[in-house]
Amino acid sequence: MRIPCPHCGARDAQEFTYLGDANPKRPDGMEATEAAMFDYVYQRDNPAGRFRELWYHGAGCHAWLVVTRDTKTHAIEAAEPAKPTKAGAAA
Amino acid sequence: MSDAATKSDAAMKPGWTPRSAWAGILSEGSFGAKGPAGVTATAREGLGIASLIVAEGGDAALAKAMKARFGLALPSTPQAAISAGRALVWAGPGQWLFIAGDRGGFADDLQALSGLAAIADQSDGRAVLTLSGDKIRAALAKGCMIDLHPSAFSVGSSALTSIAHIGVHLWRAEDGPNGAVFEFMVARSMAGSFWSWFSASAAEFGCQVTIPRACRVGRG
Ligand SMILES: [Zn+2]
Repeated sequence: MRIPCPHCGARDAQEFTYLGDANPKRPDGMEATEAAMFDYVYQRDNPAGRFRELWYHGAGCHAWLVVTRDTKTHAIEAAEPAKPTKAGAAA
Repeated sequence: MSDAATKSDAAMKPGWTPRSAWAGILSEGSFGAKGPAGVTATAREGLGIASLIVAEGGDAALAKAMKARFGLALPSTPQAAISAGRALVWAGPGQWLFIAGDRGGFADDLQALSGLAAIADQSDGRAVLTLSGDKIRAALAKGCMIDLHPSAFSVGSSALTSIAHIGVHLWRAEDGPNGAVFEFMVARSMAGSFWSWFSASAAEFGCQVTIPRACRVGRG
């Protein structure tokens, strides 16, 4: 599988480290209920199909990416820098 | 304190001799296939190397200083800006390597850039080889996943990648007498491992190794 890094170009997956779901957003710890915090920390969807996930280009540009991938086909629809959206920044 | 005691203290001080990153790894001369060398490898020594990292939005100020002081355009894509004696190589978003051909005045260069980026001197932490020759692309293709064909990797292109599980920073310099010229940089502690891979890959083409005079200091 090759991931089209927006900084480096298409690179083999071995240059990247996988983190997981890019969607969870950390709730405000002072306000959130215990259940909301539990959901954030432990509960993960495992969709068959389109999935937004975090990958780290450790052997390349050292940037975190949000990769939109079909988990059934490995077809990658988009790979964007994670930083501007802060997507999953606290995951 | 007696004179004798002072003398014996001095005698016990360890001698600190600068040692090339390639010392004990490279041997000058040829290896592999006989005949004209298809691949050449030249050790780089005495480079001034620093990593630069800017804070969010700090690119513009650093770019201005680089242009004014060194005439170098700060690359925002995987490129290397090269001028006489200096190079500025992209190293990821907001990150660069600043390289000087020698360390004379390097501290002044870094001082002039202070405040514009987080700067760390890497001069003794990296090992650099200049690789060239008719067959260099064929030798590198055995482990380098980057497409180095001239249509894909022109003079001034750079890349960060992994070869034989070793982190590598590479860029293409101006062509030389043996065609395309690639600079390969690895962490100093990985120099032996990188050479183990490269020498095995280059042997079938015949490889000429050059160690510049200044680089021979502290060999062995
Ligand atoms: Zn990258």
